[in-house]
Amino acid sequence: MTDHSLVATGLSAGYDGKEILKGLDLTIPTGRITVIVGANACGKSTFLRTLSRLLVPTKGHVLLDGRSIHRTPARQLARTLGLLPQAPIAPEGITVADLVSRGRHPHKSLFSRWTRKDDEAVDGALTATRTFDLAERPVDELSGGQRQRVWIAMALAQETEILLLDEPTTFLDINHQIEVLDLLTDLNRERGTTVVMVLHDLNLAARYADVLVAMAGGRVHAFGTPEEVLTEGMVHDVFGLESRIVEDPLSGRPMMLPIGRHRMAGIGR
Amino acid sequence: MSVPSRTIDFLTDHRRRRARRHLTALGLLLALVVVVFGITLSVGKSIVSPLDVLRVLSGEPVPGTSFTVGQLRLPRAVLSILSGLCFGLGGVAFQIMLRNPLASPDIIGITSGAGAAAVFAIVVLQMSGPVVSLLAVGAGLGVALLVYGLSFRNGVGGTRLILVGIGVSAMLQSVIAYILSTAPSWSLQEAMRWLTGSVNGAQLQQALPLLLALVVFGGILLSRTRDLEALRLGDDTASALGVRVSQTRMLVIISAVGMIAAATAVTGPIAFVAFLAGPIAARIVRSTGSLLLPAALVGAILVLVGDYVGQVLLPSRYPVGVITGALGAPYLIFLIVRVNRTGGSL
Repeated sequence: MTDHSLVATGLSAGYDGKEILKGLDLTIPTGRITVIVGANACGKSTFLRTLSRLLVPTKGHVLLDGRSIHRTPARQLARTLGLLPQAPIAPEGITVADLVSRGRHPHKSLFSRWTRKDDEAVDGALTATRTFDLAERPVDELSGGQRQRVWIAMALAQETEILLLDEPTTFLDINHQIEVLDLLTDLNRERGTTVVMVLHDLNLAARYADVLVAMAGGRVHAFGTPEEVLTEGMVHDVFGLESRIVEDPLSGRPMMLPIGRHRMAGIGR
Repeated sequence: MSVPSRTIDFLTDHRRRRARRHLTALGLLLALVVVVFGITLSVGKSIVSPLDVLRVLSGEPVPGTSFTVGQLRLPRAVLSILSGLCFGLGGVAFQIMLRNPLASPDIIGITSGAGAAAVFAIVVLQMSGPVVSLLAVGAGLGVALLVYGLSFRNGVGGTRLILVGIGVSAMLQSVIAYILSTAPSWSLQEAMRWLTGSVNGAQLQQALPLLLALVVFGGILLSRTRDLEALRLGDDTASALGVRVSQTRMLVIISAVGMIAAATAVTGPIAFVAFLAGPIAARIVRSTGSLLLPAALVGAILVLVGDYVGQVLLPSRYPVGVITGALGAPYLIFLIVRVNRTGGSL
């Protein structure tokens, strides 16, 4: 596997002339799991959209292997860089196998036929996400957790070395959140896929991230290991919340406990 | 039920089964077009034997039937098929692209735009022939861009576009009605064409612009089948899969509008065919493959059957648009109720 590099330099972007990203610089660590956290409207989704070419930056560049992604042919880019958006749409009645095989789109041209290699990619994606037994089921009949696994399978069938995910655990029950994050970790460990995702839950972010990125005001506020980034100071600066950081007894990673106005008997107020 | 074996062959099988089902559905629809075509040629107010129909079709003069079949029924049937293909294909392309069955060109004003331009050209400017078709295509594109532009805010929202389109459509309908009402000595027959669409007075040479539109614009649309299928997963997902979304959208709009407008310039806005063909096709082929070809064939069947019902099966003659309109209106109400409830897609 070649090591692709994904770098954002001086990135500014936004909607309706309103700038949301303000000169953001970030080098995505290759082969690692990077999790982006931040308060609402800090620009984390905008960043992911710009990173995956859904949004054209007003200033700065996104460079994949040194080349601007906005100058790379769409299909070629889609063979290296995959994205699972926040709200993908499953056409009515589409089967799991059919949806997952849509991931092969960037590998097909107008007249190319379906090949054994395509079947193998779909097979691999279904197996990795443990959705093979669902292959013939219509997607709209699945549970939220199953459906999210199927969408990830589609992104896997695309066989990209970098995978971006915009809040892949939103709307999922906690058991399915863990299932999805475990799956993405498997993917990273087994295939070496570079994973970049936006997560809402700070504690899950700290547990699953190799590298944690805290964003605020359209820029990177902090970047580093979860221990370096998830601090009481960061939580205060980025979320405006007082907190206590303890060690997660299961993972050894930092864990944030919010301090509110009530039921704080433990800190003797 | 046996447990599906966890092998790659199972996947290959699944895919092949779906492809076969898709082809079977396409074959059946095609066969239906041919059968209905045959029936409309041979069974009307008078009955012509299939053998004589074939003889007329091969150019042999058959006393007593050459005129009925060759001059009256054949042009009607041919125009019905071609315009139906145009309406069906253009309509479903819009519905797929905007992921909403209500986003059909006849709902969002494109058909009315083409119709208004055609009426204006014919009644006020006294034009005829291909110029009218060209004007209609131009106006259809203009309306499409207008609706698109008016509903643009951070990208095009489906619901906003549909609401804007319905407004524009109502306005253009009244333009058509106004022009027709001021026209001197305008026959009801002709007026009906521009209000609901009809293939009355069809002539074979009118098929040419339709054929051209089908080949050029239909070809472009079919070459984009895969991209359109990817667009059904949402613009973001399609883009992530390597589809150039705005470029594809432009091409689809131009081609679909071109076909719809070309057909409208000849037959008038045959009510609801563009709107109905896609959803009917979706019920028939399920999700075994692209809806483009099935919807085109369903469009042809709708116009053929609608015209046949209007001409032959009812006590007095009605233009085809009255029949398809009567069919489409209840479905429109059903859809609005359902979409309102579920926000569903095609």
